[in-house]
Amino acid sequence: MKVGGYEVKLEKRILLPGWKAAAISILAIFVALFLFGFIFLQDGVNPLVAYREIFSYAFFNPFGFPLTINRFIFLLLATYAFIIPFRAGLWNIGMPGQLYFGALGAYAVVFALGGHLSRTAALSPIIVIPLMLLGSALAGAGYGAIAGFLKGKYNINEIVVTMILNFIAFWLVAFMIKEGGLFMNPGGRGESFELPDSLHAPLVGGTPFTILLALGLAVLLYWVFAKTRIGYQIKAYGLSPAAAKYAGISSFKIPLLVFILGGAIAGWAGYHYFAAVPGVFKISRNYGFFGDLAFYGLIAGLISLGNSLTAIPVALLFAGLSVGGRFVQGKLHMGFGLDYALLGVLMITLVIFQFFYRNKIVWEKIEKERLDVGISR
Amino acid sequence: MQTGILAGIKHGETVLETRGITKRFPGVLANDHIDFEMKAGEVHAILGENGAGKSTFMNILFGLLQPDEGEIYVAGKKVKFHSPLDAIELGIGMVHQHRKLVSAHTVLENIILGHPNAGRILNLKKTGEEIDALCQRYGFKIDLKAKVWQLSEGEKQVVEILKALYRGAKILILDEPTSALAPPEVDKLLASIEAMTGDELAMIPFITHKLPIVLSTSDRVTILRRGRVTARLETKNATERSLAKDMVGREVVFRLESVEVEKGPLVLEVENLSTRNDKGALALNGVSFSIREGEIFGIAGISGNGQQELAEVLAGLRKAEGGKVMLEGKDITHASSLERWQTGVGYIPAERVDVGSIGDFTLVENVAMNYYFDHEFSRYGVVDYKKMGALTEEIIEEFSVATPSADTVGKNLSGGNLQKLILGRVFSRRPRLLIANLPTQGLDVGAIEFVQNKLIEAKKERAAVLLISEDLDEVLSLSDWVAPIYEGEFMGVIPGKEAEKDSVGAMMAGSRLEEVVA
Repeated sequence: MKVGGYEVKLEKRILLPGWKAAAISILAIFVALFLFGFIFLQDGVNPLVAYREIFSYAFFNPFGFPLTINRFIFLLLATYAFIIPFRAGLWNIGMPGQLYFGALGAYAVVFALGGHLSRTAALSPIIVIPLMLLGSALAGAGYGAIAGFLKGKYNINEIVVTMILNFIAFWLVAFMIKEGGLFMNPGGRGESFELPDSLHAPLVGGTPFTILLALGLAVLLYWVFAKTRIGYQIKAYGLSPAAAKYAGISSFKIPLLVFILGGAIAGWAGYHYFAAVPGVFKISRNYGFFGDLAFYGLIAGLISLGNSLTAIPVALLFAGLSVGGRFVQGKLHMGFGLDYALLGVLMITLVIFQFFYRNKIVWEKIEKERLDVGISR
Repeated sequence: MQTGILAGIKHGETVLETRGITKRFPGVLANDHIDFEMKAGEVHAILGENGAGKSTFMNILFGLLQPDEGEIYVAGKKVKFHSPLDAIELGIGMVHQHRKLVSAHTVLENIILGHPNAGRILNLKKTGEEIDALCQRYGFKIDLKAKVWQLSEGEKQVVEILKALYRGAKILILDEPTSALAPPEVDKLLASIEAMTGDELAMIPFITHKLPIVLSTSDRVTILRRGRVTARLETKNATERSLAKDMVGREVVFRLESVEVEKGPLVLEVENLSTRNDKGALALNGVSFSIREGEIFGIAGISGNGQQELAEVLAGLRKAEGGKVMLEGKDITHASSLERWQTGVGYIPAERVDVGSIGDFTLVENVAMNYYFDHEFSRYGVVDYKKMGALTEEIIEEFSVATPSADTVGKNLSGGNLQKLILGRVFSRRPRLLIANLPTQGLDVGAIEFVQNKLIEAKKERAAVLLISEDLDEVLSLSDWVAPIYEGEFMGVIPGKEAEKDSVGAMMAGSRLEEVVA
């Protein structure tokens, strides 16, 4: 393509240093915010004012910031549930189903110990909270294992399986918490029984302890993929199943393992939102909303190229924009769904900008004497 | 058909010329001032090892790449190609080594695919007649209604040539024209090339290592080494040895003499082994043989006769249907591939890019493919990448792998260097049984010599070597025992010294030892 006296060409990148990838992503964020500015203008709102409101509510407001952090923890866990299978070349679309199971697992522990009978039931948090974490991890892992097993043993497409499992899990939760369900709220409000006060998750600086879990996983996963044998095996399988088989890596165990691990982490995301976020402490009526939100984990995982540390700022940004977007929608009297529209525009822009991870634009001055192909038409 | 500036060109006139073609890639000078010139009716071969810059030059001639410096002249006119479309329009056609055809379509449909005159409504009858005429003129025999997937490699190549000719090509670039063809197909191709050059078409075959083909087909040859022209000569003044020397830069030993090594105890015993291929058909049918320490057991066969499956079943990558495999007296018939690596089996797969290595892994990680499970290199589940890096450096040094560093990713290596790395990785484990499947296929002369020497070295170091090859000369010169394989069965097992090319060739085609001897 010719622009003025320059020839503009696309060239394939051979190497992409980390800082360049970061620079491209940050540029993409600015472009997305610029584009979305037109939506604010359309409603007669100054975009700069809107963005100031969004960011100051999401990150600097005493009410907004905790919401952002809780959503961030949830998204980060959902991202890791996606990333682990992704490094093995597999697509876990089943975070919603696995986190519903995680929530059910945690509540099953409480139910088994009689915690559903009274909000003042005296259950020891030191024993029962770890049991709830275990229950949610096992339930999520077990549900994830179905897809991993079918993939490893019969090579059945994991995307289809996890997607269908999401529907089953969604309705299973409904069956458990709505009228007549085992976990039904005695008030019958279409939600689960509330956790006894004793089992409210301990806070670390005002934030549920699950933040330590999520950030700990960030470091752990980074180390696993960089240094360990199992990380090596997962990466090898992800890049080339045939070469991995040659190297003696089991094409059954790897898919099963990554879906067990991914499912367990998704299970914790379920625990986090329904049993650790202050003010919730029940499987709420709108649990489907959080299932949908978990899909942003997929996008965060893709944008961070499967790197668990890079995923932290990405998940934080998504969390902040979804919280802040909802806030300005109310405050500035804008249309319904502004938060999702904003996330959507951001997401698409980030994905489009990934094109520049693989390609770069080169400018070249065109020589004076332009030699044309000698064709007589 | 089109009439371009090449339409009325006469025999002996210059059709294509390049001056000072230079192309740089990050860190590599792929083409360094290449001057090249060719005439109508001439076959001008371009010879060079992998990585010598042949592909870059070919892609520049066809407009796929633009040179950084230098000029191209077609029929004396200076031209600049922005894309292959420009080259095609001027009458340059290319026949790719990896066929770019739609396998579910017919030959005719493939030939007219993308043809500028094809229009929206296809006149298959008229086109068919025109293509038939082309076939008759140049002696191609092909059924235009056949689907491409039914064709042999040679026939697919004919389709590619017809496609280029039908577009009016006067200059044909042939990329490794004989590499995938069976001997009779090679003869047919050479006859057609003769017919085409008689018609003033110019041919530029790019060839890596089949020197006899260069000698028998070309009029002139230009040799590239490290991006530079090292020789340009009339073929009649060249010999196989002189070509190889100009190409590699030193004298090349052509056929290695096998070395006598004192034979030790049995390492591998295979009894009545059978297995199925991916489609479920019996691919290997009751094969029995054994290999001693210090022996090379060579399996000669045309691909698809069960040798691939034999290699895989011995490496533990395919289930045995029946029979028994013993390694140094231990039954390993049902052992996993990991257990086999750990008990002294080393496998060099034929598919070095897709199976033997991982393109996005660094060389260190590629070496780890055969080491990550070893206690010495990974303790408590943590891989010692420092130690692995040191080992990789050793392999790069000892096997002269040309690479900028051990942290380069595998896909940046040329085929020969990748094979050296795989070889080094497997050899460094000092396997008791070494399975080498097509170890020299697709490599250039220098690398072939290197790999064959390493196989002999393994034998000297008292490994048992199973060599699978389609190159009869290679099997005969290296092996202590030769077993021609046909449809999953050995046609006989002959001591290497007594094996003769004619009889082994006949056995590869399905004759049994008794018939050949009688």
